[in-house]
Amino acid sequence: MSGDLLPWALPLARFQTGDHEATTLFRELRKPLLRYLVCLGLSSDEAQDVVQDAFLSLHRHLSAGGPQENMRSWLFRVAHNQARNRQNSYDRRFGAPLADADGAAKVLDEATPERVLLEKEKFQRLGNAIRTLADGERECLLLRASGLRYREIGDVLGIATSTVADTVERAVKKLAEKCNV
Amino acid sequence: MCEYSGRLIAWLDQELPDQEAAHVEGHVARCAECRLALSAYKEVSVAFLSCYEGTMAIPPPRKTKLWVGGGLAAAAAMLAAIFIPLPPAEKISFHPPSPPPAPIVAASTQVHMRHRYAPAPVRRPWIAEEPMVQVALPAEALFPPGAVPQGFSFIADVRFQQ
Repeated sequence: MSGDLLPWALPLARFQTGDHEATTLFRELRKPLLRYLVCLGLSSDEAQDVVQDAFLSLHRHLSAGGPQENMRSWLFRVAHNQARNRQNSYDRRFGAPLADADGAAKVLDEATPERVLLEKEKFQRLGNAIRTLADGERECLLLRASGLRYREIGDVLGIATSTVADTVERAVKKLAEKCNV
Repeated sequence: MCEYSGRLIAWLDQELPDQEAAHVEGHVARCAECRLALSAYKEVSVAFLSCYEGTMAIPPPRKTKLWVGGGLAAAAAMLAAIFIPLPPAEKISFHPPSPPPAPIVAASTQVHMRHRYAPAPVRRPWIAEEPMVQVALPAEALFPPGAVPQGFSFIADVRFQQ
Protein backbone atom coordinates (compact mmCIF):
# COMPACT_ATOMS: atom_id res chain seq x y z
CA MET A 1 0.00 0.00 0.00
CA SER A 2 1.51 3.27 -1.02
CA GLY A 3 1.70 5.91 1.63
CA ASP A 4 1.13 8.94 -0.58
CA LEU A 5 -2.61 8.70 -0.96
CA LEU A 6 -4.79 11.47 0.32
CA PRO A 7 -5.73 10.73 3.92
CA TRP A 8 -9.47 10.78 3.31
CA ALA A 9 -9.11 8.33 0.44
CA LEU A 10 -7.08 5.83 2.39
CA PRO A 11 -9.69 3.53 3.88
CA LEU A 12 -11.68 3.07 0.69
CA ALA A 13 -8.59 2.78 -1.49
CA ARG A 14 -7.15 0.25 0.88
CA PHE A 15 -10.23 -1.91 0.79
CA GLN A 16 -10.36 -1.78 -2.98
CA THR A 17 -6.88 -3.20 -3.19
CA GLY A 18 -8.12 -6.32 -1.46
CA ASP A 19 -6.64 -5.99 1.99
CA HIS A 20 -8.62 -8.84 3.44
CA GLU A 21 -8.02 -8.04 7.11
CA ALA A 22 -8.97 -4.39 6.83
CA THR A 23 -11.94 -5.13 4.56
CA THR A 24 -13.30 -7.67 6.99
CA LEU A 25 -12.84 -5.34 9.92
CA PHE A 26 -14.47 -2.48 8.07
CA ARG A 27 -17.50 -4.54 7.09
CA GLU A 28 -17.82 -6.11 10.50
CA LEU A 29 -17.17 -3.15 12.73
CA ARG A 30 -18.17 0.03 10.97
CA LYS A 31 -21.79 -0.07 12.08
CA PRO A 32 -21.11 -1.27 15.64
CA LEU A 33 -18.50 1.46 16.01
CA LEU A 34 -20.91 4.11 14.75
CA ARG A 35 -23.62 2.86 17.08
CA TYR A 36 -21.28 2.78 20.06
CA LEU A 37 -20.10 6.32 19.39
CA VAL A 38 -23.63 7.66 18.99
CA CYS A 39 -24.56 5.98 22.26
CA LEU A 40 -21.61 7.71 23.88
CA GLY A 41 -23.21 11.00 22.88
CA LEU A 42 -21.61 11.91 19.57
CA SER A 43 -23.69 13.19 16.69
CA SER A 44 -23.91 11.05 13.55
CA ASP A 45 -21.46 13.34 11.77
CA GLU A 46 -19.00 13.26 14.65
CA ALA A 47 -19.30 9.49 14.84
CA GLN A 48 -18.59 9.19 11.11
CA ASP A 49 -15.50 11.36 11.55
CA VAL A 50 -14.24 9.30 14.46
CA VAL A 51 -14.80 6.02 12.62
CA GLN A 52 -12.98 7.41 9.59
CA ASP A 53 -10.07 8.46 11.80
CA ALA A 54 -10.07 5.09 13.53
CA PHE A 55 -9.74 3.22 10.24
CA LEU A 56 -7.11 5.68 9.12
CA SER A 57 -5.20 4.84 12.29
CA LEU A 58 -5.73 1.17 11.52
CA HIS A 59 -4.17 1.66 8.13
CA ARG A 60 -1.15 3.39 9.64
CA HIS A 61 -0.89 0.70 12.28
CA LEU A 62 -0.93 -2.11 9.74
CA SER A 63 1.39 -0.22 7.37
CA ALA A 64 3.89 0.21 10.17
CA GLY A 65 3.85 -3.54 10.74
CA GLY A 66 2.03 -3.32 14.06
CA PRO A 67 0.65 -6.44 15.71
CA GLN A 68 -2.55 -7.76 14.17
CA GLU A 69 -3.99 -9.47 17.23
CA ASN A 70 -7.12 -8.18 18.93
CA MET A 71 -7.84 -5.67 16.20
CA ARG A 72 -11.48 -5.47 17.21
CA SER A 73 -10.71 -4.15 20.67
CA TRP A 74 -7.90 -2.05 19.15
CA LEU A 75 -10.38 -0.25 16.89
CA PHE A 76 -12.91 0.23 19.66
CA ARG A 77 -10.17 1.60 21.93
CA VAL A 78 -9.05 4.14 19.32
CA ALA A 79 -12.64 5.21 18.67
CA HIS A 80 -13.45 5.32 22.37
CA ASN A 81 -10.47 7.53 23.19
CA GLN A 82 -11.25 9.90 20.34
CA ALA A 83 -14.86 10.13 21.45
CA ARG A 84 -13.83 10.88 25.03
CA ASN A 85 -11.58 13.63 23.75
CA ARG A 86 -14.46 15.20 21.88
CA GLN A 87 -17.06 15.28 24.60
CA ASN A 88 -18.45 13.57 27.64
CA SER A 89 -22.15 14.05 27.20
CA TYR A 90 -24.05 10.77 27.25
CA ASP A 91 -27.67 11.73 27.26
CA ARG A 92 -28.24 13.03 23.80
CA ARG A 93 -29.91 10.10 22.11
CA PHE A 94 -29.27 6.83 23.86
CA GLY A 95 -32.18 5.80 26.03
CA ALA A 96 -34.01 9.08 26.08
CA PRO A 97 -35.99 8.81 22.82
CA LEU A 98 -37.45 5.48 23.85
CA ALA A 99 -39.66 7.32 26.29
CA ASP A 100 -42.10 8.07 23.50
CA ALA A 101 -44.17 5.60 21.56
CA ASP A 102 -42.67 6.58 18.23
CA GLY A 103 -39.20 5.80 19.48
CA ALA A 104 -40.33 2.47 20.87
CA ALA A 105 -42.09 1.62 17.60
CA LYS A 106 -38.89 2.20 15.69
CA VAL A 107 -36.99 -0.06 18.04
CA LEU A 108 -39.46 -2.91 18.19
CA ASP A 109 -39.67 -5.32 15.28
CA GLU A 110 -43.14 -5.92 13.95
CA ALA A 111 -44.50 -3.59 16.57
CA THR A 112 -48.23 -3.46 17.00
CA PRO A 113 -49.80 -0.45 18.68
CA GLU A 114 -50.68 -2.62 21.66
CA ARG A 115 -47.16 -3.86 22.00
CA VAL A 116 -45.75 -0.38 21.66
CA LEU A 117 -47.98 0.78 24.49
CA LEU A 118 -47.00 -2.18 26.62
CA GLU A 119 -43.32 -1.67 25.98
CA LYS A 120 -43.39 2.08 26.35
CA GLU A 121 -43.39 2.08 30.11
CA LYS A 122 -40.67 -0.53 30.23
CA PHE A 123 -38.48 1.53 27.94
CA GLN A 124 -39.16 4.62 29.98
CA ARG A 125 -37.95 2.87 33.09
CA LEU A 126 -34.97 1.45 31.26
CA GLY A 127 -34.05 4.86 29.84
CA ASN A 128 -34.24 6.38 33.31
CA ALA A 129 -32.21 3.53 34.78
CA ILE A 130 -29.53 3.82 32.09
CA ARG A 131 -29.05 7.47 32.94
CA THR A 132 -28.35 6.57 36.55
CA LEU A 133 -25.46 4.28 35.63
CA ALA A 134 -21.91 5.42 36.18
CA ASP A 135 -19.93 6.16 33.02
CA GLY A 136 -17.85 3.01 33.38
CA GLU A 137 -20.91 0.84 33.90
CA ARG A 138 -22.61 2.29 30.84
CA GLU A 139 -19.51 1.87 28.71
CA CYS A 140 -19.13 -1.75 29.78
CA LEU A 141 -22.75 -2.50 28.90
CA LEU A 142 -22.49 -0.74 25.56
CA LEU A 143 -19.36 -2.67 24.63
CA ARG A 144 -21.00 -5.87 25.84
CA ALA A 145 -23.98 -5.07 23.61
CA SER A 146 -21.51 -4.53 20.75
CA GLY A 147 -20.53 -8.15 21.12
CA LEU A 148 -17.15 -7.68 22.77
CA ARG A 149 -15.85 -10.25 25.22
CA TYR A 150 -14.94 -9.17 28.75
CA ARG A 151 -11.24 -9.35 27.87
CA GLU A 152 -11.79 -7.06 24.89
CA ILE A 153 -13.83 -4.63 26.95
CA GLY A 154 -10.96 -4.52 29.40
CA ASP A 155 -8.59 -3.73 26.53
CA VAL A 156 -10.81 -0.90 25.30
CA LEU A 157 -11.31 0.70 28.69
CA GLY A 158 -7.88 -0.10 30.08
CA ILE A 159 -9.15 -2.12 33.03
CA ALA A 160 -8.74 -5.72 34.18
CA THR A 161 -11.05 -8.45 32.92
CA SER A 162 -12.16 -9.19 36.47
CA THR A 163 -13.09 -5.53 36.89
CA VAL A 164 -15.16 -5.74 33.72
CA ALA A 165 -16.99 -8.79 35.08
CA ASP A 166 -17.72 -7.00 38.36
CA THR A 167 -18.84 -3.83 36.57
CA VAL A 168 -21.12 -5.67 34.14
CA GLU A 169 -22.66 -7.63 36.98
CA ARG A 170 -23.23 -4.52 39.06
CA ALA A 171 -24.72 -2.62 36.11
CA VAL A 172 -27.07 -5.40 34.99
CA LYS A 173 -28.30 -5.93 38.53
CA LYS A 174 -28.84 -2.22 38.92
CA LEU A 175 -30.88 -2.06 35.71
CA ALA A 176 -32.89 -5.15 36.63
CA GLU A 177 -33.64 -3.67 40.02
CA LYS A 178 -34.63 -0.25 38.71
CA CYS A 179 -36.67 -1.69 35.86
CA ASN A 180 -38.37 -4.03 38.31
CA VAL A 181 -38.07 -7.09 36.09
CA MET B 1 -28.91 -14.75 48.62
CA CYS B 2 -27.61 -17.74 46.73
CA GLU B 3 -23.83 -18.17 46.68
CA TYR B 4 -23.93 -18.56 42.89
CA SER B 5 -25.68 -15.25 42.28
CA GLY B 6 -22.39 -13.44 41.65
CA ARG B 7 -21.54 -15.69 38.72
CA LEU B 8 -24.87 -15.78 36.92
CA ILE B 9 -24.26 -12.87 34.56
CA ALA B 10 -20.78 -14.05 33.63
CA TRP B 11 -22.30 -17.47 32.96
CA LEU B 12 -25.03 -15.85 30.89
CA ASP B 13 -22.32 -14.11 28.87
CA GLN B 14 -20.38 -17.38 28.46
CA GLU B 15 -17.38 -15.84 30.15
CA LEU B 16 -16.75 -18.56 32.74
CA PRO B 17 -14.18 -21.33 32.28
CA ASP B 18 -15.76 -24.59 31.12
CA GLN B 19 -15.56 -26.36 34.45
CA GLU B 20 -17.02 -23.48 36.42
CA ALA B 21 -19.71 -22.97 33.79
CA ALA B 22 -20.74 -26.60 34.18
CA HIS B 23 -21.02 -26.13 37.96
CA VAL B 24 -23.22 -23.05 37.54
CA GLU B 25 -25.35 -24.78 34.92
CA GLY B 26 -25.96 -27.72 37.23
CA HIS B 27 -26.82 -25.40 40.08
CA VAL B 28 -29.23 -23.29 38.01
CA ALA B 29 -31.15 -26.42 37.08
CA ARG B 30 -31.83 -26.99 40.78
CA CYS B 31 -32.16 -23.44 42.12
CA ALA B 32 -35.41 -21.57 41.48
CA GLU B 33 -34.00 -18.34 42.93
CA CYS B 34 -31.15 -18.32 40.41
CA ARG B 35 -33.49 -19.16 37.54
CA LEU B 36 -35.66 -16.20 38.48
CA ALA B 37 -32.66 -13.90 38.70
CA LEU B 38 -31.36 -15.19 35.37
CA SER B 39 -34.69 -14.51 33.74
CA ALA B 40 -34.58 -10.89 34.95
CA TYR B 41 -30.95 -10.45 33.78
CA LYS B 42 -31.81 -11.86 30.37
CA GLU B 43 -34.83 -9.62 30.00
CA VAL B 44 -32.99 -6.46 30.95
CA SER B 45 -30.05 -7.41 28.72
CA VAL B 46 -32.35 -7.91 25.74
CA ALA B 47 -34.10 -4.63 26.46
CA PHE B 48 -30.76 -2.85 26.71
CA LEU B 49 -29.71 -4.40 23.40
CA SER B 50 -32.95 -3.24 21.75
CA CYS B 51 -32.34 0.21 23.11
CA TYR B 52 -28.75 0.12 21.89
CA GLU B 53 -29.55 -1.18 18.43
CA GLY B 54 -32.49 1.16 18.05
CA THR B 55 -30.46 4.25 18.80
CA MET B 56 -29.34 4.65 15.21
CA ALA B 57 -32.93 4.40 13.97
CA ILE B 58 -33.95 7.43 15.94
CA PRO B 59 -33.33 10.82 14.37
CA PRO B 60 -31.19 13.21 16.38
CA PRO B 61 -33.06 15.76 18.43
CA ARG B 62 -34.15 18.75 16.41
CA LYS B 63 -32.20 21.87 17.18
CA THR B 64 -34.66 24.71 17.63
CA LYS B 65 -33.63 27.83 15.81
CA LEU B 66 -34.81 30.48 18.18
CA TRP B 67 -34.20 33.29 15.75
CA VAL B 68 -36.51 31.67 13.18
CA GLY B 69 -39.17 31.10 15.81
CA GLY B 70 -38.82 34.68 16.96
CA GLY B 71 -39.08 35.91 13.38
CA LEU B 72 -42.22 33.88 12.76
CA ALA B 73 -43.80 35.18 15.91
CA ALA B 74 -42.93 38.74 14.95
CA ALA B 75 -44.36 38.24 11.45
CA ALA B 76 -47.53 36.73 12.82
CA ALA B 77 -47.94 39.63 15.21
CA MET B 78 -47.33 42.10 12.38
CA LEU B 79 -49.89 40.41 10.13
CA ALA B 80 -52.42 40.30 12.92
CA ALA B 81 -51.93 43.99 13.49
CA ILE B 82 -52.35 44.72 9.78
CA PHE B 83 -55.13 42.40 8.71
CA ILE B 84 -57.17 41.55 11.76
CA PRO B 85 -57.86 44.73 13.63
CA LEU B 86 -59.81 44.09 16.77
CA PRO B 87 -63.40 45.23 16.26
CA PRO B 88 -64.96 47.53 18.77
CA ALA B 89 -66.51 45.69 21.66
CA GLU B 90 -70.06 46.66 20.76
CA LYS B 91 -69.78 45.01 17.34
CA ILE B 92 -68.99 41.57 18.66
CA SER B 93 -72.06 39.41 18.23
CA PHE B 94 -72.82 35.74 18.38
CA HIS B 95 -74.31 34.02 15.36
CA PRO B 96 -75.52 30.51 14.59
CA PRO B 97 -72.99 28.28 12.83
CA SER B 98 -71.98 29.96 9.63
CA PRO B 99 -71.85 28.34 6.18
CA PRO B 100 -68.43 27.46 4.83
CA PRO B 101 -66.36 30.52 4.07
CA ALA B 102 -66.11 31.81 0.56
CA PRO B 103 -63.38 30.34 -1.62
CA ILE B 104 -59.98 31.89 -1.51
CA VAL B 105 -59.86 35.05 -3.56
CA ALA B 106 -56.65 36.09 -5.14
CA ALA B 107 -55.23 39.22 -3.67
CA SER B 108 -53.56 41.86 -5.73
CA THR B 109 -50.17 40.43 -4.81
CA GLN B 110 -49.00 36.93 -5.64
CA VAL B 111 -51.00 34.34 -3.72
CA HIS B 112 -49.40 31.06 -2.66
CA MET B 113 -51.20 27.88 -1.82
CA ARG B 114 -51.46 27.12 1.87
CA HIS B 115 -48.70 24.82 3.01
CA ARG B 116 -50.09 21.31 2.88
CA TYR B 117 -49.03 20.56 6.45
CA ALA B 118 -50.55 23.73 7.83
CA PRO B 119 -53.44 23.05 10.20
CA ALA B 120 -56.91 23.75 8.89
CA PRO B 121 -58.32 27.06 10.04
CA VAL B 122 -60.35 26.84 13.20
CA ARG B 123 -64.09 27.23 12.54
CA ARG B 124 -65.45 29.56 15.13
CA PRO B 125 -69.28 29.67 15.09
CA TRP B 126 -69.41 33.16 16.52
CA ILE B 127 -67.45 34.70 13.69
CA ALA B 128 -69.58 37.04 11.60
CA GLU B 129 -71.18 35.79 8.43
CA GLU B 130 -69.71 38.47 6.25
CA PRO B 131 -67.82 37.12 3.26
CA MET B 132 -64.31 36.28 4.21
CA VAL B 133 -61.24 36.76 2.07
CA GLN B 134 -58.08 34.86 2.72
CA VAL B 135 -54.94 36.70 1.82
CA ALA B 136 -51.71 34.79 1.60
CA LEU B 137 -48.38 36.52 1.82
CA PRO B 138 -45.36 34.47 0.77
CA ALA B 139 -42.87 34.10 3.58
CA GLU B 140 -40.08 34.85 1.11
CA ALA B 141 -41.42 38.37 0.86
CA LEU B 142 -41.01 38.91 4.59
CA PHE B 143 -37.76 37.13 5.41
CA PRO B 144 -34.35 36.82 3.86
CA PRO B 145 -33.79 33.76 1.67
CA GLY B 146 -33.34 30.58 3.65
CA ALA B 147 -34.77 31.93 6.89
CA VAL B 148 -38.12 30.20 6.40
CA PRO B 149 -38.76 26.82 4.72
CA GLN B 150 -39.67 27.17 1.08
CA GLY B 151 -43.36 27.26 0.29
CA PHE B 152 -44.52 28.77 3.56
CA SER B 153 -47.07 31.52 3.38
CA PHE B 154 -48.82 33.53 6.00
CA ILE B 155 -52.60 33.44 5.68
CA ALA B 156 -54.81 36.23 6.94
CA ASP B 157 -58.60 35.94 7.09
CA VAL B 158 -60.03 39.32 6.22
CA ARG B 159 -63.63 40.42 6.66
CA PHE B 160 -65.04 43.63 5.32
CA GLN B 161 -67.59 45.10 7.65
CA GLN B 162 -70.01 47.81 6.76
